[in-house]
Amino acid sequence: MKRIAVIGSIYKYLSHVQHIADRFLVGYPYEGTWHKPDMQVVSLYIDQKPEGDLSAARAKEFGFKVYPTIAEALRCGGPKLAVDAVLIIAEHGDYPRNDKGQILYPRYEFFKACTEVFEKDGRVVPVYNDKHLSYSFEKAKWMVDASKRMKFPMLAGSSLPVTWTLPELDLPIGCQMEEALMVGNGGSDPMDYHALEAMQSMIERRKGGETGVRAVEMLIGEAVWKAAAQGRWSNKLLQSALSRSDTPLGLSELDSRPQDLATNGELHKLVKDPAAYLIEHNDGLKTTLLMLTGAIQDFNFAANVRGLGIKSCQFLLTPVPNVTYSACLVSHIEHMFETGKARYPVERTLLVSGMLESCLTSKLQGSTRLATPHLNVHYQASKYQPNR
Amino acid sequence: MRAFRKISRRELLAGAGATGAALGGAPFLQAQPKRPKIAAVTTTFFKYSHTQHIVDRFLEGYGWNGEYHRPPMDLVSLYVDQVGPRDLSRERGRRYPAMRMCSTIAEALTLGGDKLAVDGIVVVGEHGDYARNEMGQTQYPRYEFFQQIFKVFRDSGRAVPVFNDKHLSWKWEWAKEIYDTSRELNFPLMAGSSLPVTWRTPSVEMPANARCKEALCVCYGGVDSYDFHGLETIQCMVERRHGGETGVKSLTAYKGESFWKACAEGVWPRDLMDAALCRSHTLTPAREGFNDIFPTLADMKRLVKNPVAYRYEHNDGLYSTMLLMAGLVKDFNFAARLDTGIFSTQMYLPMPDGRTTLATFFSPLVNGMEQMFLTGKPTYPVERTLLTTGLTEAGVKSLFANGARQETPHLKISYQPTHESTFQRL
Repeated sequence: MKRIAVIGSIYKYLSHVQHIADRFLVGYPYEGTWHKPDMQVVSLYIDQKPEGDLSAARAKEFGFKVYPTIAEALRCGGPKLAVDAVLIIAEHGDYPRNDKGQILYPRYEFFKACTEVFEKDGRVVPVYNDKHLSYSFEKAKWMVDASKRMKFPMLAGSSLPVTWTLPELDLPIGCQMEEALMVGNGGSDPMDYHALEAMQSMIERRKGGETGVRAVEMLIGEAVWKAAAQGRWSNKLLQSALSRSDTPLGLSELDSRPQDLATNGELHKLVKDPAAYLIEHNDGLKTTLLMLTGAIQDFNFAANVRGLGIKSCQFLLTPVPNVTYSACLVSHIEHMFETGKARYPVERTLLVSGMLESCLTSKLQGSTRLATPHLNVHYQASKYQPNR
Repeated sequence: MRAFRKISRRELLAGAGATGAALGGAPFLQAQPKRPKIAAVTTTFFKYSHTQHIVDRFLEGYGWNGEYHRPPMDLVSLYVDQVGPRDLSRERGRRYPAMRMCSTIAEALTLGGDKLAVDGIVVVGEHGDYARNEMGQTQYPRYEFFQQIFKVFRDSGRAVPVFNDKHLSWKWEWAKEIYDTSRELNFPLMAGSSLPVTWRTPSVEMPANARCKEALCVCYGGVDSYDFHGLETIQCMVERRHGGETGVKSLTAYKGESFWKACAEGVWPRDLMDAALCRSHTLTPAREGFNDIFPTLADMKRLVKNPVAYRYEHNDGLYSTMLLMAGLVKDFNFAARLDTGIFSTQMYLPMPDGRTTLATFFSPLVNGMEQMFLTGKPTYPVERTLLTTGLTEAGVKSLFANGARQETPHLKISYQPTHESTFQRL
């Protein structure tokens, strides 16, 4: 039975640690059964213990120990690495923000502490890192490079790419994509990250695979709508993406009437602070994330694919508290822990971590176009399509 | 039960030519004009009522297959039986002046003339202030609405396709009469719930000709309302089994203590119940501090205050079980034992209970109606809903008779499913 160490920021009800680590403790719904991983959480490091902390109660009930340092958690209090896999979940908790509005979660620091143990003890184990790798591309890159250098399997990212899509959308690997767009809602930098990664999980399937990002530009306010008028993002794709939404606000909130938000003139009224993340890939593909908080409350994707026309879907975020999409994510983490093979490349998360950072830098610099030669991240999509 | 007879295009056209022909047998349909005119005959129209969800989709359009779809037909008249303080029909009437607001059903169908003047009718007899009988059935006036529709059909010597929301009637004899009249006047009739046509997570279809011995649905809601949705959830799947539907010979209902006793004794298969629960997105956490944890039977007993089960035997030996477990789940989950193993999915409803603003599961329902109004062919068999109408009534009667088994020889309803899947996949 594999032994798991959990390295987390906080362990409170509905925190990411609780969602993810608990599934290793009590099981989770998977393909119509209640699946109990053949793995045991043996140690926990928890960075902050605010009111409502569950770490002590979980440790007592499930027979593991909470250690004061990451190294001790990985060594289970002994002299050497004593676990077979590490879950790093640094989301939620009280951490400062930088001038770009990014929350400075200590993912890099947690990860680095793990690699130090690996190095000292001469053994490596698979690591999962929840959400983006770091607020800083440089740090994120170091993390991925470390996993390559030390040769341990690594998986990271959001649950949005692995949740159900409505409809089930299998873009063929090697499809010729002309343009793609995602609409999302919520704050930065948690929700824009989820949206960018969901879009990336679709566009990476294009011909040639991912080639990296050469420039980004983040627009806010009126400039977002002007950019549409200038053809910098496609209203047609927006219409298709919005046609997938179950949550248009405004008139639909008033009396539940459906509305074509892309053309009925309501969008401008509803979205007080629109944001457009314009991304130019090295192979020429242009993709856009529109954060339209106030207009919708879900995440929808559309792309123009040669020969297939516009394909679109909703990334389904199932209801709180079950958030069964996190069970989908855990099944992929478990698979990597079990087999040592990630079902999708960590480069996806690396690239999106950098994209987001550069977009927020562009915003801070007055929406300037930023060349991003450092985002020259190439990878091929995995054949595995996890939206089930 | 007479088998459903498909009306060919040629017959439709022949019927159109036979103007003034005597009623009874001759097809009354005419070739469809380019933009069909549709009448809506409804009980009441307020936010989140079935009328609002359905009528608004004809008026405002809706997202469909990645586009904003505007039905290629015109809703030309609206009858609302009860105009209450939360009414939206007047507001819609003001914004859509081409839609005639009618004070009688006959007016909605004739547009004020003396003959039927529409090409299709949508009946929505759900919600509104109607009496409940001693068995707890709300006496929605669907049959009464149909009586008036039939009168216009007969007076006009012509009939047009009708969609009926939910079950055909709370009373079996009336449902049967509606069905029989549709055969007599030879017009396409569709009915039912949105559960058979909504998204599924995962997006899977019951394999065609599957050998199926047991089927089960775990859902929520009350008797004579959501039980019908649970029954339709089961029926849209099991009708695809080997041989098609053969009808139901008996039903037994369980509630309260008898439910838990039956559950413990394995009256219905626990493994299918668990499989269905594993498809839920809304499992009430059985323990504080956990967000998603599988309940024990003791947890279920604590969480579900008024459980209800309908267990029924089909004529070919299949057993189906519909479980209302409000308090444990807020969604519709299906599981069946096939010879290939357990098959399960969720019929996913994006419910406007705080999660969404649009009940988009009405979109595939309306799209199915549109197809019938355009082609003159029902998108899926009304026999499904005739059967679930009878099952709902049998369930209510069994509950009222303290769980006495109900023999259902009247539900010897045989039919075949559509070849193509009709749930939302695009």
